[in-house]
Amino acid sequence: MPHLKMTDMNKTYGATKALTSCRIELFPGELHVIMGANGSGKSTLCKILAGSVKPDSGTITLDGRKVDISDPKAARNLGVSIFYQELSLSRNRTVAENILAKDLPTRAGFVDVKAVMAQAAQAFAPFKEVAGDGFDLSARVGDLRPDQRQLVEIAKAFAGDADIFIFDEPTSALDRAQTEAFFKELDRRKAEGAAIVFISHRMEEVFEIGDRVTVIRDGESVSSASLADTTRDRIVAEMVGGESNTGVFADPPQAPAPGKVRLALQDLSSRRLRDVSLTLHAGEILGLGGLHGQGQSDLLRALFGLEPTTGDVLLDGTPIALHSPRRAIRGGFGYISGDRQTEGAITGRSIFENVVPIHLFKSRQHILRRKTLQADVDRVLQILATRHGGTGLPISSLSGGNQQKVIISRWLMDDTEVLLLDDPTKGIDLKTKLELFELIRSLADKGMAILLYTSEDAELLANSDRILVFNNGRIVRELAGADRTRLMLTRAAFEAA
Amino acid sequence: MSGALKPILIAAGLVVLLMIAGETVSPGFASPEQILRLAIVAALLGIVAAGQNLVILGGREGIDLSVGGVISLSALVAGNVMSGSDAGLFPAILACVAVGAAIGLLNGLGVTLLRIPPLVMTLGMLGVVQGLLVVARNGIPSGRAAPVLSDFVSRPQWLGLPGILWLWLLIGLAMAGLLNRTVFGQRIFAIGANEGAARLAGVPTQLTRMMLYVLSGVFSAIAGLCILGYSGSSFANVGGQYMLSSIIAVVLGGTPLSGGRGGYTGTMIGALLLVVLQGLLTTLSIDESGRQIIFGSALIVLLLFYGRSRGLQS
Amino acid sequence: MMKRPFLRAMPPYLPVLVILICMFALNGLAEPNSLSAYALKGLVSTYLALMFLAVGQTLVIFAADIDLSVGAILGLVNVTLVSLMQALGDTAGAIMLSMLLAVGVGAACGALNGVLVVILRLQAIVATFATSVLFLGLALFVMPVAGTPAPRLFWRTFGGRIAGIPFAYFVLAALLLMIFLLARSRFVQRLLTVGDDQLAAFQTGLPVNSIRVRGYIMCGVFAALAGLCITGDTASGDPNVGGLITLNSVAATVLGGAALSGGVGTLFGSVLGALVIGSVGSLVFFLGTPSEWQNLVQGLTVLAALMVGILFSGKARA
Repeated sequence: MPHLKMTDMNKTYGATKALTSCRIELFPGELHVIMGANGSGKSTLCKILAGSVKPDSGTITLDGRKVDISDPKAARNLGVSIFYQELSLSRNRTVAENILAKDLPTRAGFVDVKAVMAQAAQAFAPFKEVAGDGFDLSARVGDLRPDQRQLVEIAKAFAGDADIFIFDEPTSALDRAQTEAFFKELDRRKAEGAAIVFISHRMEEVFEIGDRVTVIRDGESVSSASLADTTRDRIVAEMVGGESNTGVFADPPQAPAPGKVRLALQDLSSRRLRDVSLTLHAGEILGLGGLHGQGQSDLLRALFGLEPTTGDVLLDGTPIALHSPRRAIRGGFGYISGDRQTEGAITGRSIFENVVPIHLFKSRQHILRRKTLQADVDRVLQILATRHGGTGLPISSLSGGNQQKVIISRWLMDDTEVLLLDDPTKGIDLKTKLELFELIRSLADKGMAILLYTSEDAELLANSDRILVFNNGRIVRELAGADRTRLMLTRAAFEAA
Repeated sequence: MSGALKPILIAAGLVVLLMIAGETVSPGFASPEQILRLAIVAALLGIVAAGQNLVILGGREGIDLSVGGVISLSALVAGNVMSGSDAGLFPAILACVAVGAAIGLLNGLGVTLLRIPPLVMTLGMLGVVQGLLVVARNGIPSGRAAPVLSDFVSRPQWLGLPGILWLWLLIGLAMAGLLNRTVFGQRIFAIGANEGAARLAGVPTQLTRMMLYVLSGVFSAIAGLCILGYSGSSFANVGGQYMLSSIIAVVLGGTPLSGGRGGYTGTMIGALLLVVLQGLLTTLSIDESGRQIIFGSALIVLLLFYGRSRGLQS
Repeated sequence: MMKRPFLRAMPPYLPVLVILICMFALNGLAEPNSLSAYALKGLVSTYLALMFLAVGQTLVIFAADIDLSVGAILGLVNVTLVSLMQALGDTAGAIMLSMLLAVGVGAACGALNGVLVVILRLQAIVATFATSVLFLGLALFVMPVAGTPAPRLFWRTFGGRIAGIPFAYFVLAALLLMIFLLARSRFVQRLLTVGDDQLAAFQTGLPVNSIRVRGYIMCGVFAALAGLCITGDTASGDPNVGGLITLNSVAATVLGGAALSGGVGTLFGSVLGALVIGSVGSLVFFLGTPSEWQNLVQGLTVLAALMVGILFSGKARA
């Protein structure tokens, strides 16, 4: 008998159906993977189980008994513990306080400082070795690196006596050693009989540690199977539905004949960059690879004037100083961040208002001529085949992928010479990802020079004409032509590390 | 659009209802003269609220607590510069605007360059301005409004309406134009909605935000000038009552304190609503305590219609 | 990125402590008598109310809320207390009972704020302003005009001495003990966690709403305690006594290193912040500043202190 069963779960947000009669069964001692494109409802399902989202309808049974999970506290009392993708940490509290936030040990109403430290040390013990420099149980969480924060969130999820654990993309910021320490702990919990729900976009991981997999598509559970009985291709096919859209994982493109040199960097250095030199041609997509956080994003941000640099930047052969985003925009740079909510979408404003700002800035206008602009806005949105119900609607009415298209379209109102893409497809489902990369390729074909960083190697390989591998702020290897393979990329990333 | 219109319509409906209620309880409440008087008081509040509105729209917890101080100071300065003569009106206007802009600029610099939370910065500035007021009042005799200014505020002039109502209408049109038809307006909404994204989209976020505080200072200064015209002579702390009521007018008009959406049309109605409510309470023959209790409770009930934030659980 | 150990180990109230010491030093330079036992006692008893108020304000600000009605609560408690004492007689028992009831009034005011802001989800700034109008109205209802005197026993005790030590110091010691205990309580730790990131705290399974409401109630209680102090200091009832003190309580809290965005700060820092505001006033006085300039100098000094405090704590936190 399954330990936990969720059946017929339904949830709608406004007009969007997030879950439609979705179901899942969890057995003790298994690691159950949930796979699905973004926006397919995985996170919603997990949050319902954890009590932070209320379902419209559906039944949850625990050991055959129907239960009601009204809020996170109720979930906790039932033995459900969750790792949140967006983390649930208090930045100004210490690591120890965060790990034990659910239940700070007290004596007579006062916090028992000694017990806090002791229990936190115990909870963090499995990750102590891999936490890295500057980690301390009494450090402020806000002072930690992203991977360290993620470890704290993991330790927080494990703390206490739950027997159902939910991990929603727990490894995105972790390095290999940290991931392995985490997997070891997962194995230990499994052996103790815990049921684990695991969400990940990384296929290797899924096959490495998963026991069973449930695929969700458009809010419906499509299949449940033992991972031993299925294949990567089959899961992908189930995730995307009828069409076999494996293009994101396709072979590297044929490099086009290089156009003239658009951008040349000479010994560019910054807080995180060391003597970066490169040339970027018109019509080229130049990929930035390597382990996460080795300077790829920092280079893009530096070029957009967000970080001070030394060294020379030549645009079309002319030196250009990049002190601020406004300078960079005037110079012909465009920047698209994967962090749509904080750096991309002007949330709460209309699609129209999200398309025009770059044009307004470049054209030095002061009066807003809505009618005149409308035609241009429609034109660029059409290029991107953006589905929307009218440009007056708020941008938040669109899916993540379509929001990103709107943000890209900003840069198409006028000529943009160099497009800096900083993990542009983060959190976007496979199908829309494909569309976005097709679009990016078509922009390159029209002569735009593109620097691309993505956190997924497969995407990088499938879409870059050349790849520069970064390590610790330096370019350590260039991969071109037939060298653009997963093996070469992984080897280059790791051998220098 | 209907979403943005709803609070305005509710507020406008309430204004009408209150007028009817007032006329029922105390005949004459909705007489033309009385309506005109209430409209003038609402215009005074509305002009202050225009600046408050801009600062709040700009987000990042934007708020201006120094408006009351600026109003008082501006009224004092204006009274002295014109000291009852029409010839002094123009220099007085210049002096007021300069004072308001200077204080607004300091607020703006503190909020943008030093990144001091607006509530703290403008609160500190309020203390400074109140200190300035004491100094100024001691050094110079309290002045009087120029007759032309008093007429502008309280005498029906064009089409039976006093100049100040035309001024308010003009400010209303200008604000609507600024917010919806200019690039600057777009930038206000953009920094209010998402400052980080706005910056990456080429918006000069610091400059824009600074301008909002300058404008708020200027609007308060203009209001101070008009208030001087309304009361005839400058007396202590005329502006004090405008600090929180200008914020409430903005919120009742459908601009949430979180910024990034809303507009001035609603704020105008919000100002009217507040003034009519207060007028009604004054008309009723109840004592001060009863008036305050009813006014406070009414504000709470009104706020329940607006500005409710979202819950944590979806 | 990691901070230098010095900055990490720095107690959050260090900047305000430095400012306070500077203020006292300047006071001493300007007029040695300003540091006399008599002057210090005067400073403490005058600003005890602000200290209590600042602690209450800090509790709600910890949770990223704010309470602009504390001054009005203080006024309501002041007139309620004086009226009760007048009605119940001036025996020690009656006075104790009146004080207890007055604190209950403060708690009830706080509870109303909590319900409006937390349960009905009104914006804190405007909602607590609206309740402050209501509380002022209630205060005017209880006592339409200022001036009813408090019983002699009450203000004589507050202004007097026990075993040669001014009573105000006992109250101060009690306040310090309270904040010492509060700072170590799970309640305050949870307020800070909620203020740091409400959604995260909710997802962690903390009863966010109940914690915030309790924060408002405690704030009401402290405002009431401040009301008791001010009654002892002024020895009479005045419905408008809370006029400007609300904004000072916010200033004291910010001076003390608490962030309006929540999750940061110490109660002790806010008490020091209240003392800074007090000592600025006395400095301006002892410097022999012409009386009409005193408010301006005081305003400028508080503004400068606020800026210094924020810039310092901002650097340490960033």
